[in-house]
Amino acid sequence: MTRQIQDAYIVAATRTPVGKAPRGMLRQVRPDDMLVHVLKSVLAQVPAIEPQLVNDVVVGCAFPEAEQGLNMARIGALLAGLPDTVPGITVNRYCSSGLNAVQIAADRIRLGEAQVVIAGGAESMSMVPMMGNKVALNPQVFAAQENYAIAYGMGITAEKVAGQCKVSREDQDAFALESHRRAVAARASGAFRAEISPIEITLRVPDLQAHEVRHSTRTLADDEGPRADTSPQALAKLQPVFDARGTVTAGNSSQTSDGAAAVMLVSEAILKRYDLTPLARYVTFAVRGVPPALMGIGPKVAVPAALEQAGLKQGQLKWIELNEAFAAQALAVIRDLDLDPSLVNPHGGAIALGHPLGATGAIRTATLVHGMRGRGESGYGMVTMCIGTGMGAAGILEVL
Amino acid sequence: MSETKFIVRKAAVLGAGVMGAQIAAHLVDARVPTILFDLPAAQGEKNGIVSRAVAGLKRLQPSPLAGRDSADYIQAANYDEDLGRLAECDLVIEAIAERMDWKTQLYRKVAPHLGARAIFATNTSGLSIGKLAEACPQGLRPRFCGVHFFNPPRYMHLAEIIPCEASSPAVLDALERFLVTTLGKGVIRAKDTPNFVANRVGVFSMLATIANAEKYHVRFDVVDDLTGPRLGRAKSATFRTADVVGLDTFAHVVKTMQDTLPEDPWHGLFRCPPWLTRLIEAGSLGAKTKSGIYLKRGKDLQVLDPAGGGYVAAGAKADGSVTEILAIKDPAQKLARLRASDHSQAQFLWACFRDTFHYIACHLADIAHSARDVDLAMRWGFGWKLGPFEIWQAAGWAQVAGWIEEDIRAGKALAQVPLPAWAREAGRQGVHFPQGSYDAAGNALVGRSTLDVYRRQLWPATVIGEEKAALGETVYENPGVRAFTSGDGLLVASFKTKVHSISPEVLEGLNRAIDLAEERFKGLVIWQTEAPFSVGANLESLRPALAAGDWTTIDRIIALFQTTSQRLRYSQIPTVAATEGYVFGGGCEFALHCDRVVAALESYVGLVEAGVGLLPAGGGCKEFAMRAARQSKGDLLASLKDYYLMIATAKVATSGIEARELGFLGADDVLLFNPYELLYVAKQQALALAEAGYRPPLAGRRFPVAGRAGAASIKGQLINMLEGHFISEYDYEIGARIAEVVTGGDVEPGTEVDEQWILELERRHFLRLLKSPKTQERIAHTLATGKPLRN
Repeated sequence: MTRQIQDAYIVAATRTPVGKAPRGMLRQVRPDDMLVHVLKSVLAQVPAIEPQLVNDVVVGCAFPEAEQGLNMARIGALLAGLPDTVPGITVNRYCSSGLNAVQIAADRIRLGEAQVVIAGGAESMSMVPMMGNKVALNPQVFAAQENYAIAYGMGITAEKVAGQCKVSREDQDAFALESHRRAVAARASGAFRAEISPIEITLRVPDLQAHEVRHSTRTLADDEGPRADTSPQALAKLQPVFDARGTVTAGNSSQTSDGAAAVMLVSEAILKRYDLTPLARYVTFAVRGVPPALMGIGPKVAVPAALEQAGLKQGQLKWIELNEAFAAQALAVIRDLDLDPSLVNPHGGAIALGHPLGATGAIRTATLVHGMRGRGESGYGMVTMCIGTGMGAAGILEVL
Repeated sequence: MSETKFIVRKAAVLGAGVMGAQIAAHLVDARVPTILFDLPAAQGEKNGIVSRAVAGLKRLQPSPLAGRDSADYIQAANYDEDLGRLAECDLVIEAIAERMDWKTQLYRKVAPHLGARAIFATNTSGLSIGKLAEACPQGLRPRFCGVHFFNPPRYMHLAEIIPCEASSPAVLDALERFLVTTLGKGVIRAKDTPNFVANRVGVFSMLATIANAEKYHVRFDVVDDLTGPRLGRAKSATFRTADVVGLDTFAHVVKTMQDTLPEDPWHGLFRCPPWLTRLIEAGSLGAKTKSGIYLKRGKDLQVLDPAGGGYVAAGAKADGSVTEILAIKDPAQKLARLRASDHSQAQFLWACFRDTFHYIACHLADIAHSARDVDLAMRWGFGWKLGPFEIWQAAGWAQVAGWIEEDIRAGKALAQVPLPAWAREAGRQGVHFPQGSYDAAGNALVGRSTLDVYRRQLWPATVIGEEKAALGETVYENPGVRAFTSGDGLLVASFKTKVHSISPEVLEGLNRAIDLAEERFKGLVIWQTEAPFSVGANLESLRPALAAGDWTTIDRIIALFQTTSQRLRYSQIPTVAATEGYVFGGGCEFALHCDRVVAALESYVGLVEAGVGLLPAGGGCKEFAMRAARQSKGDLLASLKDYYLMIATAKVATSGIEARELGFLGADDVLLFNPYELLYVAKQQALALAEAGYRPPLAGRRFPVAGRAGAASIKGQLINMLEGHFISEYDYEIGARIAEVVTGGDVEPGTEVDEQWILELERRHFLRLLKSPKTQERIAHTLATGKPLRN
């Protein structure tokens, strides 16, 4: 089916810990600085690859403006010390941006037009809010009722999915609780260590009396989101946020977060020439559209599409990173596709780990690769997510 | 002059309890930097007690803080480490617990650290100032006195100043000026007798009410129904007030009376009834412990039944025959009917009146400098519409005095002591006269205070019987407006309508006043003789046209509204609005268009039209669109959004300070704390503008609007609220129309328009909404119930 001329391999995948936005430790770390950090880290993990060999840097970002505007990929590459011969592109498909970055990087290699590409994602939701700094909707949206859903907030779409797919509040809360339980356990067991590049944060606090700026540094090594103290009672107490009569709460929705990730992909030729150990082989990617009002069900169509492209059966997937934008949509997808809950987000999902929008696809790629390898598993794994205004994406890797 | 000038550069409040912290809050709202002291915390951060008290201020309702970040300016301190900082303070108010031993101990500790000119005042509700003064070093005593605030101190107008024997008159005057102008208080100089004036009478009145309720077997909830607004008193009436004050506090004040007033003929009354003692012992202290005389069980309110000892369902109402009597306007007839009625509730009420009258007559000489002070103290400190002497005088002095004497003779009164001779003397008409108010100790009529600060009160609070100088000379008057001048070159326009709503007559009158001011005066001040400034357009007056579908008339009225606003902005004379209380809808729009607003702290400002399914069409939307354009630094919609939300959610600023924070008031507008100074300050502002060679702003200015894309972005938010069931379909329509008006209609973002453009949109969308049955339902509902309807 595919007319690729060579395979693309992941030789390194790393990420920052994910910080809580807007009050976590990464709140004052610029997204382009987070990007610089993971770019340097991913290069350091493959010392054989000289920076000038990199053909392109592809970075996903959901709101590429302000601190993460101006083509963050190119700026990040230059600030990371890559030679100015290395170009950069920032790509956006909201929540799948980071996964699309991997896909674009892989496709360049598969087509034979690139040999080494770094893919990644970076998003500071502390600095650039959801919807961006300036919302300027097209008036046409309100010209016809069928387009109103373009203006729907994600929470409203989650409520609509919950309603249509009959996902109860209790089930959503139970799912959220399990996400935290898994994430807390994974964090405690050190399961994330292989994928996280701890980041040093410099705090600058003015001493108003001494007229001096006090510098101090702290290192963030773990994700801030998972809560060991979450309980069914605490979750049940939360009020719905998006719909006065609804079921979606802050507790069963993904967290707003800051974070970045970088994944190095190379061709088979490069693997051989530099004697590199591949972590995974890129298999395929699919993206599909669904009604904007039900954006959360996107994976329902994207997942079968990707499997079909790869000629795989769902049962062959050993690990599924299904982005938990909302428990409501995650459960709707799991039930409808009959996914094995034990294989979905074994280390917890965005409800516990956070969801720095455009970075998430790249972050969860790192989780998939290192998660499976950490358990000594090999075989097919998937990263999938729903996407704002009604889309779903799914990428398949073969972890080696 | 320079020697007596007293500036409070910084103040300190000792004691971060409920009163201390709230006094500190009021001081910082008045922009007096304040250090709040308390004991060092036993554990944790040393200023923990104060920090917690300050944090607690933000949770109190009604809010003691008027400014968003006022609390940040309260500096926390403790007696261990920070006494040295007292040297910076020009005013130190002690407000610790009511214990003589604790207070005197603290005085010894702080006295050495006080500045050489600092005033030291104790906020006690009843302890002897003379005794407390003894704990102060000799040199401090001239600068020592009592200052008694009422809870909540931001809202209760009264502050009693109680001198000790050594208090220097200059110090008392300086403190009075500060309390009156800077803190906006109504000051009464009280004598140093237990509980001073307001609490002495107020607490007696409560005790008499309790005793009479028992005697006439009136349930507590019925007592509250009888003794609240029906008597011109606070809604919390008697028992709910006790709950709010705190039953322990109330008991404490009663105990003070019991201990310190052994000679009082009513001494037997100064005790806690057994049911009250039981409640306190059980920890039911009222509102602060969520149970007291009243108790909320789930959604049901219950009230104590003193006879049974348990709680019963609350909500029992007064008997119709009694409330009918209370509705009688003529006070003489009202009291006569109460006294003559056989109904126990009427008997009870008469008894309460009689005993209070009896008490104040017997004690006037010892506790107050005049009957006026007693009346104002009860009005300002207990929220009575009329003081007790005023009620007596209005009901016919001699007649009522005769009834009281009869009751004393018949053994019906709570004490058998006769009325003092002065009260019974033949021909006495009352205690308040044009020449002054009666001072029983001096047997003379005394005039008002001549302290200079009262020259700033051109329309002071007066009592019944007192002569109130006519306010200026009428220049123009119609059924809606009176415009007058006081020979200072300024014209003052006051609305004559109820709650100063804006009727077509008001519009006509105001326009005439602008004409006259342009012809003959230096400036125009809009000021009302009493709050509120204005509740907005008089919807009732639109009803006939509405019923008849006479849209031409309605359109004409809207056009006149807009013209009036624009004239307030562009007339040839400076215009100043002096606001207090509600500044709603059209009233707000007029204020927004005046050259300057002088706002009392308790100004509640908002464009509330959306509440009745309308939008501001007197220039309010236009004004906000213009302000957003002026403030925008590139992203017009960003600066418009908050303004939009204020209109769409009918947001009301809860103080003049918040009105400034929200953008209803500008940087040049003036805030003041004492509403009685409004007219004076507004005139000063108008004169200053005129003397500076006032010219109106140039008309015809163009400004950019957010356009159709801006409206779309706002609708994006609305659609989510609609889908989320936070607003109704009709709320959505109103919100969308407001969005279209403030963003300038179907034009591209950044398009420059003029004022008339937005005014036209206001008018068009206002009419569309008014024609909708849903808006008409909302208006009818609000007019009938006073509450908004969500349909």
